[in-house]
Amino acid sequence: MTNLFEEPGLKQITVWARGVYENKEARDVVVAVTEAAALEGKFVQAWENYVDLPDRIYVPVRAYGKISDQEIESKYVYENETPDIVALTEETLVKGVDILAGIKPGAVLVINTKRPAEYLFKFIKKGTENLASIVTVDANSLAKSIITLSGAEGATDASGIGKGMGAALAAAIVKATGIVQFESLLKIVENKNAAKKAFEKAQVVDVKTLVNAG
Amino acid sequence: MGVKKRISGCVATANAVKLADVEVICSYPIRPYTGIMSELARMVADGELDAEFVYGEGEHGQLSVVYGASAAGARAFTGSSGVGVTYAMEVYSPISGERLPLQMAIADRTLDPPGDFGSEQTDALCCRDQGWIQGWASTPQEALDLTLLYYRIGEDPRVLLPQYACQDGYFVSHILGEVDIPDAAQVKEFLPPYKNHHVLDPRNPQIIGAQMEPSMGPGMQYQRYQAIEGSRKVIEEVHEEFGRIFGRKYAPWVEEYMTDDAEVVIFMQGGHAETCKTVVKRLRNLGEKVGLVRLRTFRPFPTQQVRDALGRFKAVGVVDNSVNFGISGAAGVLLTEARTALYGLGDKVPTVGFVAGLGGEMITHDEFYKMFAKLKEVAKAGKADKQSYWLPFEL
Amino acid sequence: MSVPVKEVPFAGTVPSPKTENEGMITGNWRTRRPVLDADKCTNCLICWISCPDSSVNQNADVVSFNLKYCKGCGICNEVCPVGAISLAPELDFED
Repeated sequence: MTNLFEEPGLKQITVWARGVYENKEARDVVVAVTEAAALEGKFVQAWENYVDLPDRIYVPVRAYGKISDQEIESKYVYENETPDIVALTEETLVKGVDILAGIKPGAVLVINTKRPAEYLFKFIKKGTENLASIVTVDANSLAKSIITLSGAEGATDASGIGKGMGAALAAAIVKATGIVQFESLLKIVENKNAAKKAFEKAQVVDVKTLVNAG
Repeated sequence: MGVKKRISGCVATANAVKLADVEVICSYPIRPYTGIMSELARMVADGELDAEFVYGEGEHGQLSVVYGASAAGARAFTGSSGVGVTYAMEVYSPISGERLPLQMAIADRTLDPPGDFGSEQTDALCCRDQGWIQGWASTPQEALDLTLLYYRIGEDPRVLLPQYACQDGYFVSHILGEVDIPDAAQVKEFLPPYKNHHVLDPRNPQIIGAQMEPSMGPGMQYQRYQAIEGSRKVIEEVHEEFGRIFGRKYAPWVEEYMTDDAEVVIFMQGGHAETCKTVVKRLRNLGEKVGLVRLRTFRPFPTQQVRDALGRFKAVGVVDNSVNFGISGAAGVLLTEARTALYGLGDKVPTVGFVAGLGGEMITHDEFYKMFAKLKEVAKAGKADKQSYWLPFEL
Repeated sequence: MSVPVKEVPFAGTVPSPKTENEGMITGNWRTRRPVLDADKCTNCLICWISCPDSSVNQNADVVSFNLKYCKGCGICNEVCPVGAISLAPELDFED
C-alpha cells in the first residue's frame, strides 16, 4: 500500500527551531527555498507544525517545505515523515531532540553554529545511518535573528522573507544540496548580503569522514 | 486578472474579506482561525482596508457586535473555532431570525474532548440548523471564493441569511496553497453593496429584534424556513455568475471526481477530500472503478442533488469528520443526511459510515484505501454487515 | 498517528506528577545552562522560589539544578543577589 502513494521526486525540508524567538527564521528558511523552487517552475508547499505549539519560548518547533516536479498530492500530510534536508536554526537542537527521525538515505543536515561539524556530530545519537553530510554555517554572525509574531498562525509575514538569519541558513542549504539555483534564492530573500556570505562560507563535511574519525 | 500567491486558508479568507470591503470586523483569538484576524488586523493597521476592527470580549460578544453592525446596515464579518463557536451559540438564531446576512468564518477545531485542539468539523456542525447558509472549502482558493460567494448569496434580497464559511482547521487554514486573488473590479461586479431590508433612520425608528409572543413563533420560524428553502435557486444562480466573472466554475452542490463509470464512491466534505482524490487517482491507475463525491453546500442540504449523484453507485461510503454520539447509523450527520437523501432506493445503494480524522489527525491515504476496499466488499455483497466504522480502530 | 484506544488515558485523566512529569521533559528546550559558583552561593533560595519550572533543588549547603527539566530561561541568573549563577552555552557540556 505504501508504495502506491509514493511521490517520486518529492523533496522534504524540515527546519527545527526554538519556539517564539526563531519561529520566523525557521519559516523563512522553508518559504525562501520553496519560493525559489517555485520560480524554477517546481510545485511547492511550505507550512509550520501546528502541534508544536510555537507560543512557548525555546520549545523545539518545526517548519516544513516540500518541492516536487509533479503536483504535490500529499498536501495534507501535515508532517514531513521522511525529510531529505534537515536544518537547525540553533546548534543545541542536536542535543536531546530526535532531529534526524525518518531521514531518507543521502540526507543533509545544516546547522547554524560556530562549532565544527566534528564536535556537533558527537551529540547526535540517532538516525545518522542515512545522513550523508553535515553543513555548518555561522549564520548569526551574518545576520540577526528577527523576533516577531508577524506571520505566525498562517498569516502573512509583514517583516520580509529572509530579512534575518534565515537567509543565511537557506543559502547554506542551497550550497550543500543544490535543491535550487542560488540565483533563484537571491531573488527571494531580502538579506542578499547574508545569503551570499553564507553561500561562500558554509562548510560541508562528509559524514563518512566523521564516522571514521569518531 | 488577479494575482497568484501562495497563502494559507486564513490569509485567503482575509483577502476575500478585504475584497468584499467589509465594514465591521469583530475578533477574539482562538486557534486555528486566529490567522484570519491577525491578517485583517494588519490590513486595517496598514490602511489596506477601511473597516472598524472591534476586539470582542469573547465569542458571544463577537457575534453580538457583528449582529448590531449588520442591523445598522454594515457588511460585517467575524469568525471562530472550536469551543469559541459553541460559546457564541445563543446569538446564531436571532441573527438569522432577524435576517441579517453577516458572515462568520469557521476554521474547524475539535470541542475539547478534553485538551485536544486539532481540526474536526464538529464545532461548525453543532450550529448547522440555525438558519445559516453553510458549506466547506477544501483548499485556500476555495476558502477565498466561499467568502465572496456567501456574501452574495446571503445578501440577496430573496435570501437575507447569515453564512458560515467553513474550512478545516490547520489543513486548509494553515498549509499554504496557491491562490488566485481576484482584482477589486471583478469583485465589485460580482458583489453589489449590502442593502439591509430596513434602513436605520431616526426619522423612522424601528425595533430590531422586537419581543414576539408565542403566537408569532410559528410564523417567524416559517419565514426562516422559506428563506433557506428559497435560497436554493439563488445559490445556483450565484455560482453560475461567479464562474462567469472569475472563471472558476464550482458545482453549487456536489463536486464529482472520477465518478463517470464508478461503482463505489466516497461522499464527504472539506479538505480531506483532497487526500481522497489522490487515492482515487491511484486506484484508477490500477483499474479500480472508484470515485469521490464532495459535498460543497451543507445548508441548505441538497437532498435531490445528492440522491441523483449517489443513487447510481453500487455502494457509497460516507466520511464524517465529526462526532455525533448516539446518532442513528452510529457515525455522523453526513451519513444520516446521505441516507435520508437516498431513502426509498432501498437496498440498491448500500451506504456505510466512516468516522475519520477526528481530533486533528489527517485521514491518511492508507485509511482511504481501506475504506475503498471495504466498499468493494459491500458492493459485491449488496449490503453492509456493519453500519459504520470508526477509523483507525475498526478498519 | 493515532494512539491506540487502550493507550489513551481513560476520560482524559492522568495521575498528577508529584515530583517529576515524565510526560513533559523540558531539558531539551535549554540553550544555556545555569552554572553555580558554590563559593559565592549563600543558599538564600531566591533562585529556588523564582524558578518557574521548579528546577532548583534545595540542599544542605548550596543549591543545585535539575537539568532534566531546566529550560534555560536564565531567571535564576537574573535574581541571584550575589552573582553565584552564570549561564554557559549548553553545547559546552557533553552530558
